[in-house]
Amino acid sequence: MTTKRTVSYLAGLATVLLVAGACSMSTSETAGGTARASMSDPSGNDWTTYHGTYRSWHYSPLTEINADNVKRLRVAWVHHPGRSTRGLQSMPLVADGVLYYTGSYSRVWALDAATGKPLWSYFPKLNDDLVAAQTHSPYTRGIALGQGKVFVGTVDGRLIALDMKTGQPAWDTKLVNSEKLTVGFTGAPLFVKDKVIIGSQGGEWPGRGPIFGVDAASGRKVWEFFTVAGTEESKKTWGGESWKTGGGGGWMAGGYDPETNAVWWGTGNPAPLYDWAGFDWKTSGPRPGDNLFTTSVVALDADTGRLKFYHQELPHDAWDFDSSVGEFVMLDRDGKKLVVHPNKGGHVFVYDRKDASVVNVWQLAKNINFVKGVDPKTGALIGRRDLPLGKHTNLCPAIAGGMSWNSGAYSPKTGLYYKIGQEWCMDLEVIKTTPVLEPQAQLDIGANFTLRNPEGAKAHGHLSGRDPVTGTKKWEVTFPEPPLASLLATGGNLVFVPDPRGMLRAYNAETGQELWSHNNGIGHNGGIISYSAKGKQYIAVATGWGSLVGDEFGALFGEPFKSMPKDSGAIVVFTLE
Amino acid sequence: MRHILAVAIAVTLMATIVSAQERSQTQSTAVPGPDDALNGEKIFGSSCGFCHQGGGRVAGRGPKLAGTDRPDEYLLNRIRVGKEGAMPAYGRAFSETQLRALVAYIRSLKDGNQ
Repeated sequence: MTTKRTVSYLAGLATVLLVAGACSMSTSETAGGTARASMSDPSGNDWTTYHGTYRSWHYSPLTEINADNVKRLRVAWVHHPGRSTRGLQSMPLVADGVLYYTGSYSRVWALDAATGKPLWSYFPKLNDDLVAAQTHSPYTRGIALGQGKVFVGTVDGRLIALDMKTGQPAWDTKLVNSEKLTVGFTGAPLFVKDKVIIGSQGGEWPGRGPIFGVDAASGRKVWEFFTVAGTEESKKTWGGESWKTGGGGGWMAGGYDPETNAVWWGTGNPAPLYDWAGFDWKTSGPRPGDNLFTTSVVALDADTGRLKFYHQELPHDAWDFDSSVGEFVMLDRDGKKLVVHPNKGGHVFVYDRKDASVVNVWQLAKNINFVKGVDPKTGALIGRRDLPLGKHTNLCPAIAGGMSWNSGAYSPKTGLYYKIGQEWCMDLEVIKTTPVLEPQAQLDIGANFTLRNPEGAKAHGHLSGRDPVTGTKKWEVTFPEPPLASLLATGGNLVFVPDPRGMLRAYNAETGQELWSHNNGIGHNGGIISYSAKGKQYIAVATGWGSLVGDEFGALFGEPFKSMPKDSGAIVVFTLE
Repeated sequence: MRHILAVAIAVTLMATIVSAQERSQTQSTAVPGPDDALNGEKIFGSSCGFCHQGGGRVAGRGPKLAGTDRPDEYLLNRIRVGKEGAMPAYGRAFSETQLRALVAYIRSLKDGNQ
């Protein structure tokens, strides 16, 4: 099934362009409206956007800490934010010697990046009753910086701008009716030109999961793109009225390609998550059809939010293997401008940046049977395993995915892409459900399931260093449990892996040899960055345990996860002794 | 005219109060039947099976529920108010009837791995 196509500007009628201000937008670096150079170029000392730069490499070029001296890495300072419900899941950012990060409940901290001394904090007043009713909450996975402001999405559906120097709110814009839809924002925003882009939660939550473009200066909503039936044409891919409760969302930050002015964003799965129509999904069941633009990568015009082009990675996703997970690694090779995007199902898609046409698809997770394969030339699914009403055994990967939402890393020095793969399966019973929309929308799963080991093996994870375009593996390290945190590659020939047991490990980026480790005392499930402050290089990692994927570990792997606290976490920062 | 309207409002209010009392009494004294468990299973598969795996028969993200020795009122309260960072509060989402159907479903589960 070919689902990739270029969409004309006329076809993007349902994109809601709320304010006609695009023509007057500043493009001058000096006007304060554009992004910092460090967002495009990974050569600086700072880390100013969620994925490191718009190219999403999660790479620092700094070399002071390197493979030869990493054994001398020691803790420089630690910051405890308190009330870290579900652990710290966020990616810190650093600009001009200040480290900014978010804790649970959308709290923001600014610290001296060299010493950890608190400069300011901001605790938004949240709707506590709403937060108590949320499942995918109260973590906040990151922030964005731009125009002298820190931007944070809140779990109750607001986007807030804070003054970078003082932490005082500049504006506070309500974007999602979370009181009705239950979901809000947990993912990091992306600052592009003069706008803040942020995607709402969605997936198995019955809504339409918008992605928003907000004016960074005023907080005014400029555009809104619905990931469910975002165009009239795409509405036809939803049978009946199912588009009204389709799920979708864009709950992780995407990337930006300045050459095409395209914001690349991954979208969530449709609701209900599992579909009892089974093989008859095109014509019957709760959401007949391909269900555009769920489980897709969409390229939106940064100024207007209009859809430029897209590819639906899993037409009619019936497994919760959505495309919100996965960074957009932008590379140039052999005259082609490419973007590499991992899908939760365990395959990595390689696209041409000009139109999202498929260049290659390769398999990272080993235990995959929800499809027999994916055509590497077209991206079409081969031999999909649909799940009719009733019991099914050994579906691989499990709902937690062959890859999870935290990011891999790419090193331009080694040319390797470092990524975690997850090996686990599950048994399930698909059941009929009815979406609950009143008085407050509720999860619509459509199955009961139990995670299990793959046949003939134990559940586990692995880190590999591969060619990002072909998937050719250079080295691999296995872990008894899948690491769930983001990775960091550095110019010092290092790859850092924060693992679930609490060990932060450094590997030789060329060979995969372990060179150093440190016990942070609790699992990792968030971000890791490197930066320079006052002439020294630092590594900063978020600690803390308790995500929805991590919550599986106690039953599946036993200790230390059964006893691991889920209300703790800190920023731990290292430098050479 | 005004008098008739006042009487009508009073009668309506009284009927509503009586109806609510009857509903409350029904909720607090009714013995859950097989239909309640079936309804509860449907709600469970929509919202609860995400964490209480195997339909509540095995531990997963959330604890195993089959064979729980917690009293009904404890279960009802936990579903209503949730547990910070671990379980959402469903008190506003589900009616008393639905909450009791969920408890009936949990009580219908056989204690043993499936």
